[in-house]
Amino acid sequence: MSTISTPVEKAPATTRLVGRPDVNRKRMARLGWAFSAPALIIIAAVTIFPILYSVAMSLSNVTVTGSGISLNGFTWANYSLVLQNSTWHYALGFTVIYTFITVVVELILGTMIALVLERLAAGRGWMMALLLLPWSMITVINAELWGYIYEGTYGVATYLFGVQNILGTSTPAIIGLMIADIWKTTPFVAIIVLAGLVMLPGDIYEAAEVDGSSGWSTFWRITVPLLRPTLALAVLFRVLQAFGLFDLPFVLTSGGPGTSTTSLAILGYDAMFKNLAFGPGAAVAVTTALLVLLGCLISLRTFKVQVGKEGM
Amino acid sequence: MRRRKRAGWHRVINGINIATLVVVIFVAAPLYWLIASSFKTPSAMGAYPPQLFPNPISTANYHQAFVQYDFWIYFRNSLIVTLVATALVLIFGTLAGYALARTPMRGKFSTMVTLLMISLFPAIAVIAPLYTLLKDLGWLNSYQALIIPYTAFNLPFAIWILRNYMLGIPKEMEETGRIDGAGPLRTIWSIVLPMALPGVFTAGIFCFTACWTEFLMALTFNIANNYKTIPVGIATFGTAMEVPYGTIFAASVVAVVPIGILVFIFRKFVISGLTSGAVKG
Amino acid sequence: MAPVSMEKVNKVYENGFHAVKDMDLDIRDGEFMVLVGPSGCGKTTALRMVAGLEDITSGILRIGGKEVNDETPKERDIAMVFQNYALYPHMTVRENIGFALKLRKTPKAELKAKVNEAAEILGLTDWLDRKPGQLSGGQRQRVAMGRAIVRQPSVFLMDEPLSNLDAKLRVQMRAEVARIQRHLGVSTIYVTHDQVEAMTMGDRVTVMRSGVLQQVDAPQHLYDNPDNIFVAAFIGSPAMNLYDATVGEGARSVKVGSQTIDLPDSVRIKRPALASYAGKEVVVGMRPEHLPAEADDAAGPKLVGDVDLVEALGSELVVHFTVDAHRVLAEGAVDKDEAAAVKSGEGVARVAAKTPVKAGDRLTFAVDTDQMKFFDTQTGLSIRT
Repeated sequence: MSTISTPVEKAPATTRLVGRPDVNRKRMARLGWAFSAPALIIIAAVTIFPILYSVAMSLSNVTVTGSGISLNGFTWANYSLVLQNSTWHYALGFTVIYTFITVVVELILGTMIALVLERLAAGRGWMMALLLLPWSMITVINAELWGYIYEGTYGVATYLFGVQNILGTSTPAIIGLMIADIWKTTPFVAIIVLAGLVMLPGDIYEAAEVDGSSGWSTFWRITVPLLRPTLALAVLFRVLQAFGLFDLPFVLTSGGPGTSTTSLAILGYDAMFKNLAFGPGAAVAVTTALLVLLGCLISLRTFKVQVGKEGM
Repeated sequence: MRRRKRAGWHRVINGINIATLVVVIFVAAPLYWLIASSFKTPSAMGAYPPQLFPNPISTANYHQAFVQYDFWIYFRNSLIVTLVATALVLIFGTLAGYALARTPMRGKFSTMVTLLMISLFPAIAVIAPLYTLLKDLGWLNSYQALIIPYTAFNLPFAIWILRNYMLGIPKEMEETGRIDGAGPLRTIWSIVLPMALPGVFTAGIFCFTACWTEFLMALTFNIANNYKTIPVGIATFGTAMEVPYGTIFAASVVAVVPIGILVFIFRKFVISGLTSGAVKG
Repeated sequence: MAPVSMEKVNKVYENGFHAVKDMDLDIRDGEFMVLVGPSGCGKTTALRMVAGLEDITSGILRIGGKEVNDETPKERDIAMVFQNYALYPHMTVRENIGFALKLRKTPKAELKAKVNEAAEILGLTDWLDRKPGQLSGGQRQRVAMGRAIVRQPSVFLMDEPLSNLDAKLRVQMRAEVARIQRHLGVSTIYVTHDQVEAMTMGDRVTVMRSGVLQQVDAPQHLYDNPDNIFVAAFIGSPAMNLYDATVGEGARSVKVGSQTIDLPDSVRIKRPALASYAGKEVVVGMRPEHLPAEADDAAGPKLVGDVDLVEALGSELVVHFTVDAHRVLAEGAVDKDEAAAVKSGEGVARVAAKTPVKAGDRLTFAVDTDQMKFFDTQTGLSIRT
């Protein structure tokens, strides 16, 4: 049996090119840029240029005059000040540990909630709606609420658990802060995990059951690995968002007692707007942004397989 | 398998339902506390042991919030800023999303990645320069002071969502439109948008929530009473000495209700937005 | 109503892929021209270039005599029906059909009249206020056509519009589409990968392969006189049997495997060039219907084969047999899966329904030598004049 191909190659003739090739393409590309322009301009104006200006501020002697801020000369002083500052060290450590603990707890609790809800026959929609309420709540309101709960004299936590002066002592304050955050954010994690669970193919579980896998083993060997992409990206976003922790400690504890709940963002804010030390404050802000960027790049590289270039 | 006969209400009480009840209590208890406390009389707010159920039920806190404190003003400001920013985000986001989904621009990938990275920046990094800029423009304590940054910060996510939805629309729809003679704007309005509506709702509700709850920028830029938004207003009720929890909670309930209703109505879109955001990054 | 002509049209994509190579094609005014070929042959690309949805890399496209390379689809006054119909799901049938007219700011009364008229031609009048989601596949297809005809364009372009319909519906719709086209008299370019569709619908058929036009002809002519092996193998179902063969001395016979088939003078006379192939290898082609069964001892050119399988269709028997010869596959005419399944020396014949034959028999086929095709092994071209 042999295959024969009819000759397909014909020498391309030199033809008079009428019009321009790619006329359409170029037209559409220009249109694309025109359509994107408003969005890109606003984004650039509000994010890119200010960030560059922040970097500039962090590298200059900044003086505050009556009419505004002026940058004088190049200096590393702001950074050396910040990097040697014990409050900053604390803020960095606090932010990182706070993030770690809250995310882990939220992940565990959220997954547990999702597992429970997944089995729910009726009312799952209502439960999901209920879970959205803490997510949609203004963080400030959340802070005030828990402030009331933790209130030393008449808070219901004091009443129920007999703990005195929660917000006045460092460790209880930190824990109280975490609980408030966890309460608000766990439902968010639960929804993401639940949605991921619902999408898992059912026949894998039936196969596992036939193979004799127990509930716990099924969970660890099948559910968790399949959920990993969903969980990973949810964690990623949560962690990167946590570096900007501000609202909750600002309203609930004002960064205190002392500086025990001062996050990086609060430190930056206090430096700039309370102490008018814009140089160092900018250094704090820039380093925080760099940390976010670093975290982003690391995670992107780790999860490159999942994120990929889909649809690009 | 063991076969158990379960009578009517025994079926209701089982592990899952108990666990669900626990979850409901976990979520609802603080919410209950918020709402119930808002109806306590001002003196009962500080009662110890705390009143688990307001008795008598009083609307004094609400009265105070609106009459004594200018809550209506804060509510109005939040509404204006949020609605305008959301509208701008949806308009510019649709255009940019369409451009990134359909047109052969060079550097689409880098643009998308950059937009994504920008959306992760903590606001603290831009707050000082923006403050200076707004001050120079004389725009501190104004609506635009918040509308413009809110639009900028919410655009990346909206563009991402809208673009993904548009990619899912078969190209032939638009090609038919082109053949019929529709220009690009007409195509977006009559063909693409109606089919990408879920994406629009998703982007819209996320933007609304983000603007309604934003604190740091509102605190820094709009500290004048006439321009405060709800989060700032509530945070600055009272003084360092006296925190008027009653008033705060009354205001909070009023603040939570509209967004709660909106999120409930659009919950399908919120959930799809959260999951597509998580899965697709 | 306008003729369409392509002069040395090429399409090269950004990544270098040369999809359409130097295509010359003239479509007459009012003609139903079918572009057919395996997937990836460039037929859809060619269609989209006519539509204006793809840029033309080089060459000239003319519609109604006017060069339209730079014109937008709207300016070209064409209408297109897509494989997936591309109906706007949020609009009613009426709005779908009328959309183009609305864009052209047609006055309401006129718009309504035109939509009603198109609906009537297609039998959609009762469905005008439904949405596409409520319609069946066939109805949606008709709405897509309605959208095209209501514009009264110069050219209809159709990209495999029937591929998504089930077999029975497809046959029905083929007749419908052809009828409507004839009624309206609009030049039509119709793309399909199904050669049965091509043969039944086209005034003329253009066979394409790998971006190159193979042959343009009326269906019957294409069937009877293929220009090369590819066209011969692609058109006709079951496909033509092609074997490696050697031409005997003076072209008086041809040796297929171990068998020699005598060729009467008429064969040589009609194909003078064949004589120059004496002693050389050629590819010989015989269509299944030109191999009727014959008694072993009858006179005339014959071919003997071992029967593998007999399919009784009722009207005839399709006999799958083997001869000890090399079967030739035209590259691209069958897909890889089919190619892998073909055994060496395989052949197919269509014989009379009552022929007593079963698997395992040895059957003699009478070869209709007048209908035999000969192809040059190097160029694949048909040996004719």
